[in-house]
Amino acid sequence: MKFNIDDLPVLFPYPRIYPEQYAYMCDLKKTLDAGGHSVLEMPSGTGKTISLLSLIVAYQMYYPEKRKLIYCSRTMSEIEKALAELKALMKYRSDELGYVEDFRGMGLTSRKNLCLHPSVKREKSGTVVDARCRSLTAGFVKEKKDRGEDVQVCIYHDNLDLLEPHNLIPTGVWTFDGIMKYGEQHKQCPYFTARRMMSFCNVIIYSYHYLLDPKIAERVSKELSKDCIVVFDEAHNIDNVCIESLSTDITEDSLRRATRGAQNLETKISEMKESDSEKLQNEYAKLVEGLRDQDEAREEDAFMSNPALPDDLLKEAVPGNIRRAEHFVAFLKRFIEYLKTRMKVRQVISETPPSFLAHLKEYTFIEKKPLRFCAERLTSLVRTLELTNVEDYQPLQEVATFATLVATYEKGFLLILEPYESDTAEVPNPVLHFTCLDAAIAIKPVFDRFSSVIITSGTISPLEMYPKMLNFTTVVQESYPMTLARRSFLPMIVTRGSDQVHISSGFQVRNEPSVVRNYGHLLTELSKVTPDGMVVFFPSYLYMESIISMWQGMGILDEVWKYKLILVETPDAQETSLALETYRTACCNGRGAILLCVARGKVSEGIDFDHQYGRTVLCIGVPFQYTESRILKARLEFLRETYRIRENDFLSFDAMRHAAQCLGRVLRGKDDYGIMVLADRRFLKKRNQLPKWINQAILESEVNLSTDMAVGTAKKFLRGMAQPFKASDQEGISTWSLKDLEAHKEKADEEIIRALREAQENPEGKEQIGDGMQVDPDDFGIDEDDEAAMMEIDA
Amino acid sequence: MIRNGASKSLESNPSDDICPVCKSNRYLTPSLQFLINPECYHKMCSTCVDRIFTSGPASCPVRYCGKTLRKKGFHKAFFGDLKVERECDIRKRVGAVYNKRQDEFETLLDWNNYLENVEGLVFDLVEGGKEDKMRAEEKLRAYKERNLGEIEANKRAGLEEIEMEKRRERAEKEAARQRRLAAVREAEEEKMDVEKSRREVLEKLASGEGDAREITEMAQKVVLKKSGARRIASEAILQSNGSAKDPNLTIRGLKKREAPVAEKPYEPFGGVDLAPSRYVLQEDYDSEWLANAKKDQRHAAGGFSLHEYYARTMFEAFSGLGVFIEDEMGSKALPAVPSSIGTEAAAEASTGKIKVEHKMELDDVF
Repeated sequence: MKFNIDDLPVLFPYPRIYPEQYAYMCDLKKTLDAGGHSVLEMPSGTGKTISLLSLIVAYQMYYPEKRKLIYCSRTMSEIEKALAELKALMKYRSDELGYVEDFRGMGLTSRKNLCLHPSVKREKSGTVVDARCRSLTAGFVKEKKDRGEDVQVCIYHDNLDLLEPHNLIPTGVWTFDGIMKYGEQHKQCPYFTARRMMSFCNVIIYSYHYLLDPKIAERVSKELSKDCIVVFDEAHNIDNVCIESLSTDITEDSLRRATRGAQNLETKISEMKESDSEKLQNEYAKLVEGLRDQDEAREEDAFMSNPALPDDLLKEAVPGNIRRAEHFVAFLKRFIEYLKTRMKVRQVISETPPSFLAHLKEYTFIEKKPLRFCAERLTSLVRTLELTNVEDYQPLQEVATFATLVATYEKGFLLILEPYESDTAEVPNPVLHFTCLDAAIAIKPVFDRFSSVIITSGTISPLEMYPKMLNFTTVVQESYPMTLARRSFLPMIVTRGSDQVHISSGFQVRNEPSVVRNYGHLLTELSKVTPDGMVVFFPSYLYMESIISMWQGMGILDEVWKYKLILVETPDAQETSLALETYRTACCNGRGAILLCVARGKVSEGIDFDHQYGRTVLCIGVPFQYTESRILKARLEFLRETYRIRENDFLSFDAMRHAAQCLGRVLRGKDDYGIMVLADRRFLKKRNQLPKWINQAILESEVNLSTDMAVGTAKKFLRGMAQPFKASDQEGISTWSLKDLEAHKEKADEEIIRALREAQENPEGKEQIGDGMQVDPDDFGIDEDDEAAMMEIDA
Repeated sequence: MIRNGASKSLESNPSDDICPVCKSNRYLTPSLQFLINPECYHKMCSTCVDRIFTSGPASCPVRYCGKTLRKKGFHKAFFGDLKVERECDIRKRVGAVYNKRQDEFETLLDWNNYLENVEGLVFDLVEGGKEDKMRAEEKLRAYKERNLGEIEANKRAGLEEIEMEKRRERAEKEAARQRRLAAVREAEEEKMDVEKSRREVLEKLASGEGDAREITEMAQKVVLKKSGARRIASEAILQSNGSAKDPNLTIRGLKKREAPVAEKPYEPFGGVDLAPSRYVLQEDYDSEWLANAKKDQRHAAGGFSLHEYYARTMFEAFSGLGVFIEDEMGSKALPAVPSSIGTEAAAEASTGKIKVEHKMELDDVF
C-alpha cells in the first residue's frame, strides 16, 4: 500500500498496516528530519523491522541526499531476517513503481560464514578461518606471487582485482545466500565483495560489533559518511555490548602464550635481519618520519587495529624507544613479565589506570606514551615481518590492546585482579579484569560521528535510562502501546501460592520448602491448562538446578510429566539446541513440552516461541544480576557517582528489562496469543518498569493473584482464545487498510485544527496546546484542503 | 578443574621450586624463598644465603661465576624472569642519568631520537657483548660527568611531578569518599523523612480531625516535594564539588593564576554582534525595481529611506545562513559529573572496602 507521511510517499509492502507501525514511521521521520537521536520502543511482533526499512528506504529514495542506512542487529539470524525483508520490500517497490531503482543493499558477517575457498571453509573455528584467509589474501602474499615465488593464494579473492572496484556486484539486495551463490558462479569472494562494496551501498546490515567495537570499527566502518542513518535494533542490551567491547580479561595462560609469541617475534626478527634487513630498515625509516600510511592502516588484511586512539595521536610519530623492532620486543617482554609478577599477588586488587601506570613506571620504567602506541607498533611489526600464522600471536595482540587501552583511558576504566575464582577456592587462578565501567565511551564515537542514531527494541523500558547511561540527547523518545482487537495476551502477577504464602526468589526465602512447593504447584497447574508449549524462566542456573532437584524430591516433576515433556537449558550451546529441537517436535505433535531456562541465557535472548511453541511463559523470580560480583559493584558505584543512577534503580532496571525480554519471547504477532505469568511478590512494585505495552495490558484485578486465582483467569482466557477469530474482526482496530489510515490522518488533522481554533478563541490556553502540537499556529492553510478532502469522502 | 589448575602452574616453571645451590625443593620446604644479588643475578634460597654469606663476603657458589657477593646485596626478585630483573636494574641506573624531559627538546623528532639513543645504550648494556658493554659504560660515565647540573635539576622536577600526581590522586579519592558519605546520608534522611511523615499521618488519622483521604493525599504531596527539593540540593552540591576539585592543590599551579578579568559593561543583547558579517552594505544598489523610488521625491517626503530598505532586505536575505543546528545540538551535551571521581569510587567499591550493601537493602544476590 502507498501513503504519504507529510510530503514523503511511503511504499509499504503489505495491504494492511498496524496503527503502531504508522505511529512508529511518523516518529522515525521526525527524527530524521530533525537530525537527532531517538529511542523508540515498539511491541515485539508488530513488524518493527519492515516499518523501519520501508520508511528509511522511502526517505532515501525521495530526498536527494540519499542518506545511507546502517542497520545493526544482534544475531546472525536477525540480520538474515532483515535482509530478506529488505529484499521483499525492494521487489514490492519495483513492482509498484514499474521500474527497478538504483539501489544496493548488503549484509556483512564474518569470514567463516562467507568463505568459498574449498579448504578454508571447512575449518570449524572462526579465528582459524580468519587467520588462514589472511595468509592467503594478505598484500605481501600477492607481491610474492607477482615476483614469481611459489605461494598459495585464494583465487576467489584475487579475481576481485580484475573487476571494477566500485562495481563488484550488480545492484539489488543481496542476502547471504544470494551473495554466496553469486560468488560461486562468478568465482569471487563474497566476504571481500561485501567489504569493498560497503561504501557503495544504500543499506548495510551487520552486527553491532562492526560499529561499536573500536578494534573492528576502525577497519570496517571508517569510510561511512557523517549523514548516515544508524539503527540499533534489539538494542535493550546495548550498554553491555559497549562495555564488553572495551573490556579484556588477562589470565596466566594467556600471558604465557603471549611470552611465547614475543619469543617467536624475536627469532623472526633476527632471521629477517640476516636475510632481508632492508625491510626492517624501511619500516624503521617510516616510523622515524611518523608517516602512518593511511591506506595501509585501513587495509582489509591488517592483523589488528588500534582500539580507539584519539586522531591527533595517530598522526604523531611512534616514540623513539620502541622504534626499532628489537627494542619493541624487549619492551613487550618487560610488560608481560610485569603483568606476570602482578598476577602472583594473592589478594584482590582494584586500581585505576593512573595508579597502575604509576606502579608500572616505578618498576619497569615503561612510560605511558610508548604503551599507548603498543597495538599500533605491533601491527606494523607483524606486517613487516610478513607473518602468516597470525593466530599464534592472538594472545600477544590481546596484551598489546590492553596496554593501549590502559594508557589511553584514565577514566571510566578499572583494573580488578581476582586471584581466586570464588571466595572459597583454594587453588589460585588469577584473572586480571580490565573493565570498562562507562558504556558511553564505546558508543561516543558513533553518536559524535553520525547525525541520526536510532535505538530501538521491543523492550527498552524505561526509556530515559538509555540516554542517561549512554550520555546522549534524544529528539524523540517514544513507547508505543499495542492495539489489539481482542485481548490476545494475558499478563498476570502472581504473588502468593494457593496457601497464601508469599512467593519470591529473594535470597532469604528462595530455598524454603513452602516457596519451592508453591512454585512447583504453580508450574503443575499451569501445565495442566496450557496447550502445547510452555517456557519457564529462572533467575540463574544455580537456582534452577537447586529448585529442580527439590521439585524432584517433592514429586512435582512426576506430576508435570503427565502433562508435558520436560526439557532443560544448559550452559552448553549444543545441548541446548538439541533440547530446543526436541521441544519444538513435542509442541508440534501435541505431546506438549515445558522448557526450563534461564533469564539471562541464550534462549531468553534470541529464540522466538511463537504460536504453539509458547502459549505460557512463566517467570519464576525477579532476574537480578549476581550482585556480589566485583565488576558489577564497581560499575554500580561508577553509575551512581557519574550519572546519578542509584544502585537499586539500576539493578531493578536491569532485572526488569530481562524479565520483559523473557515475556516478549512468547508473543510474536497479532494473531498469536499467550499467557505471561510473573511469579514473585516483588514484581508488584516493579510493575511500572515493564514496557508500556505489557503494563497497559495488566488489569488491576490481575496484579496480586494467588495460584488458584491465576489458574482460573488463565482458563477463562484460553477459553476466550478458543473462539473463532476472523482476520476481518481486526480490521479498522488493530490493522488498517489504506482507507482506515486516511480516516485516521483526517481525524488527527481535525484534532489539530480544533485545538488551534480553541486556542484562538481563548488565547490564554494557546501556549499549552501549541506546545503539544508542534504546528505553527498560523498554519491555517490545511483547513480548506481538509474540508475538501472530507467532502470527497462523503460523496 | 582444580587439579588441572595446579598441574598447570607446576608445569609452567619447575625450576621455580628447586634451589639450584642446595637442591632443596618446595615440596619438602614449603617456606622456600629465593633471593638474588644484582652483582650476578644467580638465584639461591634464603637458607643458602644465610649459610654462605653470614660470615662475610664470599664468592658466588654457582659454577664458573665466582663473583664476590655480600649478604647485604641480596634481595627478592620482583620479576620471575631474572633477565628482565637485570634489565630493569640497568634501566634504573641509566634512567637516573639520562633523565631529560620532552619539553627540553625543540621538536618531537629530536626527542624521539634521544629516546632511541638511550634505548640503544640500554640494549647494549643488557644484550651486547663485552666490548659493547664497555663502550656503553664509558658513554654513560662521560655523559654523567658532563651534565651533572642538568641531571640534578631534572631529577628534582621529576620528583615534584610525582608528588603532584600523588596529591591529585589523594584529592580525588577524598572527593569520592565525601560524595559517598553524602549519598549514604541522603538515603538515610530520606528514609527518616518517610518514616516521620507516615507517623504524622497515622497520628492525624487517629485524632480523627478532617477527612481521611485528604490527610493521606496531603502527606504524599509533602513527601514528593521534600524528595524533589533534596535532589535539587544534592545536585547543586555535586556541581560545586565537581568544579572545586582541581585547583590550587599544588604550589606549582599558583603561578598560572591570572588576575580576574575586568567586568564588561552591560550589554542588552548578551554579546550578539548585530553588525553584518557576511556582506557589506553598500551605499547604493543598482536595480530597475528601485529606479522609480530613487527618482521620485514623493517617496522620500514620507520618510522612506532607501538606505533602511537596503539594510533590511540584505539582512533578510542573509539571516539564518551559517547557523548549524547540529553544532548547537552538540554543545548541549548532558551535564555529567567528571567521571574520574566515579572511577575512583568504583575502585574502592569493588574491593569491598566500603560497605554500601547494608544501606542498600538489595533484594537479591542472584
